[in-house]
Amino acid sequence: MELAIDAKDLVKNFGNVLALDKASFTVRDREIFGLIGPNGAGKTTALRILGTLIKPTSGTADVFGNDVVRNPEKIRGIISYLPEEAGAYQNLSGYEYLSFMAGFYVGDGDTADDMMKEAKLISGLGDRLGDRVKGYSQGMKRRLLLARALMMKPKLAILDEPTSGLDVVHAFHVRQMIKDYADTMGVTVLLSSHNMLEVEYLCHRVALINEGQIIAEGKPEELKEKYTAENLEQVFMEVTRLG
Amino acid sequence: MGSLTALIIKEVKELIRDPKILIGVILMPLIIFPIMGSAISISQESVQRALISASFAIYNEDQGLVTDAFLEYLYANNTVVPLQAASLEEAIAAFQETNATTLLHIREGYSDNITRGLKGELKIYANLKSLSIAEAGTTDTLGGLVNIYSYVLSITKINTLLEQVGEAVDARNVRNPLTVDYASIIKGTVLEVAPSSIFSIIMSQSILLPVMMMVMLMFAIQMAATSIALEKEQKTLETLMTLPVGRMTILSGKLAGSIVVGVGGAISYMIGFSYYMTSAFSFAPEMTSMTTGDVGLGLEPIGMLLLGVNIFITLVSGLALAISLATFTDDVRSAQSLTGFLILPVILPAIILMFSDISMLPPTVQWILLAIPYTHSILASKAAFLGNYQLVIRSIAYIAGFTVAVLYIAARIFSTERIITSRFTSFSLRRLLRRR
Repeated sequence: MELAIDAKDLVKNFGNVLALDKASFTVRDREIFGLIGPNGAGKTTALRILGTLIKPTSGTADVFGNDVVRNPEKIRGIISYLPEEAGAYQNLSGYEYLSFMAGFYVGDGDTADDMMKEAKLISGLGDRLGDRVKGYSQGMKRRLLLARALMMKPKLAILDEPTSGLDVVHAFHVRQMIKDYADTMGVTVLLSSHNMLEVEYLCHRVALINEGQIIAEGKPEELKEKYTAENLEQVFMEVTRLG
Repeated sequence: MGSLTALIIKEVKELIRDPKILIGVILMPLIIFPIMGSAISISQESVQRALISASFAIYNEDQGLVTDAFLEYLYANNTVVPLQAASLEEAIAAFQETNATTLLHIREGYSDNITRGLKGELKIYANLKSLSIAEAGTTDTLGGLVNIYSYVLSITKINTLLEQVGEAVDARNVRNPLTVDYASIIKGTVLEVAPSSIFSIIMSQSILLPVMMMVMLMFAIQMAATSIALEKEQKTLETLMTLPVGRMTILSGKLAGSIVVGVGGAISYMIGFSYYMTSAFSFAPEMTSMTTGDVGLGLEPIGMLLLGVNIFITLVSGLALAISLATFTDDVRSAQSLTGFLILPVILPAIILMFSDISMLPPTVQWILLAIPYTHSILASKAAFLGNYQLVIRSIAYIAGFTVAVLYIAARIFSTERIITSRFTSFSLRRLLRRR
């Protein structure tokens, strides 16, 4: 099976801070892969490298066979990236924002109208898409941004903490959309979260990251069995205790 | 729609829909300047009304035909308050009780002195109640009336004397025996215009140009800094950087969007400013009746083209500089504070060159000014009007070189992860200063 992501020995230094310490993991095509760990573990750094925003200090990472350092433009054409603290342009309406974003992907099969229809469905915001983004609640913004990330059916969607800061209703909607979309559209999803129960519900496979290192990787069931744990939270505690 | 066009439209929409920018940059100049102009116009009109309706008091201590004729002249077409008093002190006290702003004291012996060919002595007292311009004007009005009468008296006297000696000469020529006509030579053409008039036109032009350049640059710098800082503040920059569009296209979109809004702001500023000038100085139409074209200083097509190129390159360099600086900040407020430092190199040459020619300055100041690229923008604009195209091209070349360097830096920042990871906090600033 083709690998969507192949990260090998990724190291990233920010001055004296070692954010990633020889992190290696692979993501298969059409799977939902979760990168889980506590705050400051290196999740966002790994996602930013794969999203071509920053370069690794050493190590390599391929996205569908394209090297993140040598072919960032090619990668940007097939991925969509949703940062953890992402926002939308406050003075544009939801429609204008989505239409602006869709414009960059037109020509790859779908028309902007098709993408807008898809986005309306994913966001579930209905007529509120006509309102300026500045009037949206946190949950509505996140739904709009998720719609933006998925509407163009990317080969790989990189979602950094997709339900961060959302209430139960919005978080449920976002999780549901990610699951449905990955299943029906065949989109590969790499997401990060410190909510391990959420990852357990969503992901086919996961990698546990702590202090910049991948400390375990596999299917949630396999990991739970291996560490005789009831859930991924317990797996994480067990792995870090042993490590 | 192309990616660049989409980016420019997005930039313009985002900026002009921001109430701070819409009101502060576009609408305020259109509202504030006309209000200021109207306020000045209203006060000037009130000054003029005060001058027309000004009344003065007269305390006369003299008797005689010459005094009667003088009083007849003063009473005609003027509001005069005659004062009856036993002494000058009483007259001054009575004068202060009236609405008159000036008091004319005709001393005893005035008529006799004039008849005997001596000086007639007068004294004017001004009662300064409000210390306003209108008060100064009314004092001048009475002084003016006295001067006119003095001239008429002297002409009459000269005529009488000429008749006595039998000379057939115009009394006015005896009074003013010399006459001088002025002409100015500009670019080899002799113009029948006094140099003082030319200087007043050039002065207004040399003030207008640096002001225009300065205002436009300041607006554009503010726009560009706001545009990049808004992306950071609203957390949209990361997403933008992962879109399938070149970083240079994103940078160009930001530059072009900021130029559009910056120029819009400058246009609204200039409309407001010109409205201010015409309304505030409507009482002095001669100030605006002559143009640079009338005195042979109008722009030729090549001058116009070079001026356009100069303005464009200056704008781009200011924007690129602002964008480069703003990438190190996290929000609009810190971006605007940081780019506030850019105002100094913009404003300094504008103010100095507004009042002085660069060649008149001490050599050290000249070198410092010439090192600042924005000095060259102003020099080029002035030179374009004077038809000195060599200087225009040299200045454009200097600022173009600077612009390329700044654009390169901006492009480098945009193409590296610095745009995402750079932070310019008060902490990092303190650390930087300590290290220095």
